[in-house]
Formats: sequence, C-alpha cells, structure tokens
Amino acid sequence: MTTALNLDLAIIGSGPAGLAAAVKARQLGIKDVVVFERDERPGGILPQCIHNGFGLQKFKAALTGPEYINRYIKMAQVHSVDIELDTMVLEIDKNRILTAVSEHRGLRTYQCKSIVLAMGCRERPRGAIGIAGTRPAGVFTAGQAQRLVNIEGYMPGETIVIQGSGDVGMIMARRLSLEGAQVKAVVEIQPFASGLIRNEVQCLHDFDIPLLLSHTVVEIHGDKRVEGVSIAEVDERWQPLEGTVQFIACDTLLLSVGLIPENELSKMAGVSLDPQTGGAYVDELLETSVPGIFSCGNVLHVNDYVDEVSNEGEIAARGAQSRIKGRPAGKKKKIALVGNKTIGQIVPQAISGQRAVTFYIRVNRPMEKLTLRIGDIFKKRIPYARPSEMIQIRLPKKVFSELEASTARLKVSCEER
Amino acid sequence: MSAAEAAPPPHIGDYDVIVIGAGITGAMIARQLSKLQGRFAVLEKGAFPGFGVSKASLSQIHLPDFCPPGSLKGKLCRDAPARFKKLAGELDVYYREVDELWLALEAAQVANLEAAKARAESHGATGFEIIGPQRIRELEPHVTPEAVAGLYARGLGVIYTPQWNFALIENAVQNGVQLHLQTEVVDIGKTNGGIYRLTTNQGTLTASYVINAAGLYTDEIARMVGDGHIHLSLRKGTMLIFDKSVSHLVRHMIFGTFSESHSQDIAPTAHGNLILGVHYVPTNNKTDTKVSREGIQQTFELGRQLVPALSQKDIITSFAGILAQPDMTRDGDFHIAASQHSPRVIHVIVGAPGLSAAPAVAEYVIQLLADAGMPIEEKTGFNPKRGGWPAFGIASIAEKQQMIAANSKYGHIICRCEQVTEAETVASIRRGARTMDAVKHLTRAGMGRCQGGFCGPFVLKCLADELGITPTQVTKSGPGSHQIVKMTRSGFKSCDG
Repeated sequence: MTTALNLDLAIIGSGPAGLAAAVKARQLGIKDVVVFERDERPGGILPQCIHNGFGLQKFKAALTGPEYINRYIKMAQVHSVDIELDTMVLEIDKNRILTAVSEHRGLRTYQCKSIVLAMGCRERPRGAIGIAGTRPAGVFTAGQAQRLVNIEGYMPGETIVIQGSGDVGMIMARRLSLEGAQVKAVVEIQPFASGLIRNEVQCLHDFDIPLLLSHTVVEIHGDKRVEGVSIAEVDERWQPLEGTVQFIACDTLLLSVGLIPENELSKMAGVSLDPQTGGAYVDELLETSVPGIFSCGNVLHVNDYVDEVSNEGEIAARGAQSRIKGRPAGKKKKIALVGNKTIGQIVPQAISGQRAVTFYIRVNRPMEKLTLRIGDIFKKRIPYARPSEMIQIRLPKKVFSELEASTARLKVSCEER
Repeated sequence: MSAAEAAPPPHIGDYDVIVIGAGITGAMIARQLSKLQGRFAVLEKGAFPGFGVSKASLSQIHLPDFCPPGSLKGKLCRDAPARFKKLAGELDVYYREVDELWLALEAAQVANLEAAKARAESHGATGFEIIGPQRIRELEPHVTPEAVAGLYARGLGVIYTPQWNFALIENAVQNGVQLHLQTEVVDIGKTNGGIYRLTTNQGTLTASYVINAAGLYTDEIARMVGDGHIHLSLRKGTMLIFDKSVSHLVRHMIFGTFSESHSQDIAPTAHGNLILGVHYVPTNNKTDTKVSREGIQQTFELGRQLVPALSQKDIITSFAGILAQPDMTRDGDFHIAASQHSPRVIHVIVGAPGLSAAPAVAEYVIQLLADAGMPIEEKTGFNPKRGGWPAFGIASIAEKQQMIAANSKYGHIICRCEQVTEAETVASIRRGARTMDAVKHLTRAGMGRCQGGFCGPFVLKCLADELGITPTQVTKSGPGSHQIVKMTRSGFKSCDG
C-alpha cells in the first residue's frame, strides 16, 4: 500500500452540497480541499434536472439545474477547488482515512483532518416496494428515466404510468409529455401528493395528467416489454380494495416512490444513523457521531429545495474549519431534540446550546392551524404543514441562554389548535 | 414460389451426442463430455445458458439430509460440496462455504432433525450433530429464541448459479463442444441409418445419442421419443433478496420446516446478501414466473419466523422460479435413465437438490451412455482450466491495485452498489453477454441495492458500443425486450458544449 496523502478536507460528492461546502471551505481559508466525484462531470444530480425553479433563495433567480450548479462550478474554479472526477470513494474509516479509486490515478489513500459527506441520495427501486407481476423491460426509476432523456437523449417509452408522486416523478411526467409521450396517470398510494404543490400544479394539472390518490400499481404485465399495469384503490392501511382493479395499457412504468440517503460510506466510518431521516445524527455544525466527519444535503436528510442543500454544505464547511483549527474532539455537552408523535424528522437531532441553530422539521401527516414548539424557548403558529414541505426555523444563539445549564432534552411538538 | 415450396430447414450439424438444455445440469454434462473424444453439441432454446430454472434458484450446495435412504438423489449429492470446491478451482468461479443449521421451533419438530440426520448418514455423510438452544444462540444470535434444537453440519456451500453455468459452458466450448443458442427442439425422429434427427427452429441436426436435460421441458422432449410416462409436478416458488446491510443477521444456511407449500430457508448468498425462500404454489404454467403480493408476504413471514429481526424494508428484490420434480418416481426421486422406446436417448429428470447433484449426475450420465453402447475414450489435451475475469468488488486492496495496474478500466467503477468496473462489464460482453440481464448476472452490475438505477444507462451504452448496435437495439433479455424506444424528439445535444 502506498503511503497516505494528507488532506485538510475531503468532500465526498460534487453536487450542490459538496460544491457549496468546498467553496465555503476555501473562503474560510482551508488549504487542501479535494472534492471526490464518481461521475464524469461535476454537479451530482443537477445536470439532469433541466427544469427551472432552482436558486430562488440563494441567487434570487429561477435557474435550471445545470445553471444552478454551473454557478457553483465556476465559484469552485475561482477558488481553486480540486475536483477529482470519475473517482469513487471505496472506504472511509473513523480515523478519517479515505480510499478512492479512478482510472487515471488508480487506488489512493488520504489521511484527512476532516471529511464532509455529501453523497446525496438514491431512489427506492421496485424490489423495495414489492410490486407484483412479471419482470419485463420498461420499468425505470424516475431519476433513471430523467438521466436517459436529459443526458443521454433516449426515450424510455411512449405510453407511461408513474407510480408515486415524488417530485422527480411529477417533473418527469411533464418532461415526457413535452417529448411527445402519453403519460396516462400518476398513481399515489397516499391520500395526498408526496411532492411539492408547485409540481403538482405545474407538472400534472397544467398538462391534464390525472393524479390518482389512494391508488397503487398492484401488478406489472408483459413478458418482454411492459404491456400494461393493473392499478387499484387502497384503503387507509394501503391494502388494495376489492373490485377496484383496473388495467392501464402502457409500455413503461416509472417509479417515484421515495429517496434514500446514500449512507454506505458513513456506515463504514461508524457514523450513527437516524432511522427517521435515514441520515446521520448531527449537531448544529452538522458534525456526525464521529468527530471530524460532517454530513450535509440529501445524504443527511432529503431536502425539498436545492438552496437548502447548499446552505447545509456551507454549515458543514464551518464545522470542518473548527475541527481543522483544532477544536478538541472531547466530549461535548449535548441537548437532545425529541419530537412528539406528529414529528417525522428533526435535524439537527442534538445541539450544544452555544451557537445559532437552523432546525429542519417535517411533520408526519398533513396538519392545519398548528402550533410548533421547541421546549419553552420557541413557539410559532403555522397555518398548515405537510410531510412534503420541510419547516425551517432559525434560532439565534441568545435564545439558548435562557436554558438552564442542566437541560439535556428539548421537546419539539406540533399540535393542531 | 409458394410457402409450401420454401427451402427445407438448413442442416446445421452432425454429432455423436447432443445435449438438450444448457441449464446447470446440461452444462455439467456438456463439460463432462468435453473430456471425451467425439463430436458434441448443446442446444439451448434461450438466448443465454442457464437463464431458465437454474437462474431462479437458491444456489445452495447441500448434503443429502433431504434425500430418502436408498434414493438416487441422495447417492448423487453425497459428495456435492467437495465436488463443487474442486470445480471452483478449475473453473475460476466463486464457491463460498456455509454451515447448515436446521432448527426445530417446537419439541415435536426435533424428530424431523433426527430423521434428517439419519437420512444423511444413510448416504454416508458424517458430521451431523444435534445441538441445543444455547449452542444455537452462540452460532446464530439472531435466530428466534423459540428454537429448541438444531441440526448442525459443516461444510455446505453457496454459489451463484448463472456464473457457474456460464463458466461450465465456456470450458466445454473451449474443449470443443458446440453451443447452439436460441435453438429450440420441436421434433425428434430417426434417419434411415437409425440415428436421431432433431428438428429445431434453426434447422436440423443429427446425433447418435441424445441427452434430455431440458429442465422444465424434459416431459415434452420425452414425448417426442415416445415416452409418454414422464410427468413433472410443478410448483412456483417465491424468493426474496435482502440488502447487505442486514447480512449480519444470518451466517448459516438456516432451515425450518418443509412442506408442499414451503421450504423455510434463509442463508447468505455467494455475494454476501441474504436470500430467503421459499413459498410455493402449485402451477401448470412453465413460464409463469410472476411474483404476487401474497407470495412476497408469505415468503417474508417464513423468514421472520426464523429470524424475527428481518424487516420488509430491507428487501431489495423478489423473484419466482418454477421447481419441477418427477411425478412418476417414488418420493419424487430423480429419473436418470435411458428411454424405454429409444434406448440411446437418456432422460435426465431431476428436482431438488438438482444443483447439488449436478456434478455427479454428469458422471452418471456418461456411465449410462457407455451402457447404451457409446465408446468412452478420454481425449488428450482436455483443459480443465477456465479463467474468469477478476471481480473488483470482492478483491483486497492489494489485488485491486494489481487489477488497475494491468487494466486501468478497473479503476472506473460503473455499478456503485456492487463496485463493478468498466473492465468487468466489457469482459462479460466480449465473452458472450448480449443483453442487460446477461451483463447483470455475470458481473453483478445492477444487482445491488439500487437495482441498476445508476449503472443501467452506462451498461446500455457499453452494450451498444461493444456490439456495434444502436442503443434502441439493446435489450434486457433478448428479442422484444428493448430498453429504450427511440431518441428524443430534439435529438441529443450535449449541454457541456
């Protein structure tokens, strides 16, 4: 084995989280920053997201995915960020030793003072949701279809049914319609769309694509290529209702049934994961349970907006800076955030009480006229909340000065008034 | 010229022995034949060897504890692990040793374990041991606390059948056997000289001897030579594959109860996932490999009974296969024998554990060929060695460095879940993979937790480039299963400029 190369900061992933972290890290004066990217181009998933609506918050403009990420790629160039393309990180460990491989550089190891995890997420495949039927060609995840159409220039099919109303699925319903395909239905097992309302309106309603709520695909038909799907209405326990099965002829089924933070490397390093988010447990600097390893963007928790993903990258870069500068890795005082039964996710899951904090919260069912409370230090009335729309609360440092020194837990709750 | 006057089907070959079926049994027989002098061929109706029943199996190498005393199947799988281990070395394919732990979940089931031990011993297998709950917990901390006793045996194995099937056929071909793919036998007659004439969709062939190793279709081939007494009973079985993140839950090949409607079996796979099976339903349809909701659910329940910590969210894929078993033999024993009406046709009709028995079945078939009058002479120059291509994902760091040094394409990982590289993808295509599924089963690209979400587009392009076809011509599993339908309306303009 060759000797390890030294790095101040390794960032895994060059999407909107990783590049924002890299640029911020350079701005903060961190010297040796390397971004590892497994694809042949930087940007993560954004180069294939050619629709607009990105960057409203960060750049005050409705950019396309490629435009958004190109701004970061340019900033990265200006700040001399080293992006290793076509390079796959194979392993990281708790001592922050990273092993990466590429065709042009072979296998290399790096000893890193800090690591920012920015690997993003992957899509839930067919097997994970157990759709019955045959196994023909023509079943794709929505993101795979998006890559085929927008990057490779291939049409996955001509008559389409989409299972799941995640954002990528709804966006692909519109995209494929614009390419001349007939999108026959978007089928959603929940009684509400799982993506943003904006996408429901702009991608489905505006294109007269039916959204069938409380429905699911129960069987895939076709031996060689998809010939159709059977769908059925479901009860509140998601069980198909007898007598509601109908056949829809189509040559393609797209799946948009959830995103999973891609934490395989995090697990190798011993990072503790939150079963609610599928991402790491972090503090307000987005530091994981392993000192010196930070997590941001969709590998931490699946975000609604790319701007937020980049904001998290910047927070993680600040965290990394404090480690590189030598903040001791000793035992930290932590206040745990504990949600009540209406809370689906909270990030960060624990805070020091010594700094300002941005909280990201999701409810686990649609609610109206609710009051959100964080311990006794914060209370806000909110007109409505849905699982698909993250609630963001920024609290300044001084709020926490009201806490008693012995505080170990803060209860987070959403209650309808 | 009218259709009736159309040219007769072409004659495509004359052989001493033709093996019908290139599944694992046919492949073992073909490879055994390739050690001998003579002209041999294997006919396979599918687009790739081993993509019928053999692919959809648990891929486990058993000892004869399932086989009744005195049965042919017991005799043939007595030394299965040792035979597979030897072959693994010759064929450069992966064999993983796994120990067996057969559980009794209530006192009444202990008798089942004792019977299994007695069956194994009746075939000369040794080392079977009945163990108590404490030992079970030591061996497998995650099995149900309800387990009252276990039958423990060491040295069974797991393989990945499609890779073995391919290696066996490659080695047979390397030693002179002709492989005819997409060649379906539709009739068997006789020439004036008394040898067999096989009519296929590709043309006619002749052979002095015919081996019927057609798996699910052995009954139909048998009827072509006048053997109407051969019947199969068919069951469709559903199996589940779990994410590698839960592989620590099971280290042994764990069995529970067995019945007409299930085989309770959870075990590691050769590649380190967990495979769970098998819930059965009777079927008459040989091509019905659809999975059903109930099938998935009931299979899952079988597993959770043995290992309560299993979670449905960790299932990465499910599939179904057809298990055939001779219907006319005692206890469903194998029927491996010359035809009643055509003595130079050998029927090879196996059921479970057909994979385990396959190496011994191949030797047994050669003996039956000799009995039927075929001169058996070993040829000089048989090469038992077949080289695979190194798999990056399971290699050590030092081996990985060597692979990249020898071929830099080993540094380009295309399937991130299983760490399959461009070098392996290209190798599989240059060695015969023609479809997405063939690449997948030979390299594992697309078999991981994302199920091809990321590597799919790359494999598609790689197949198109290597085969010199357009992306629209690339298929998942053969004609009619194209992956994409056309180029986009706008055509493709790179946004990179």
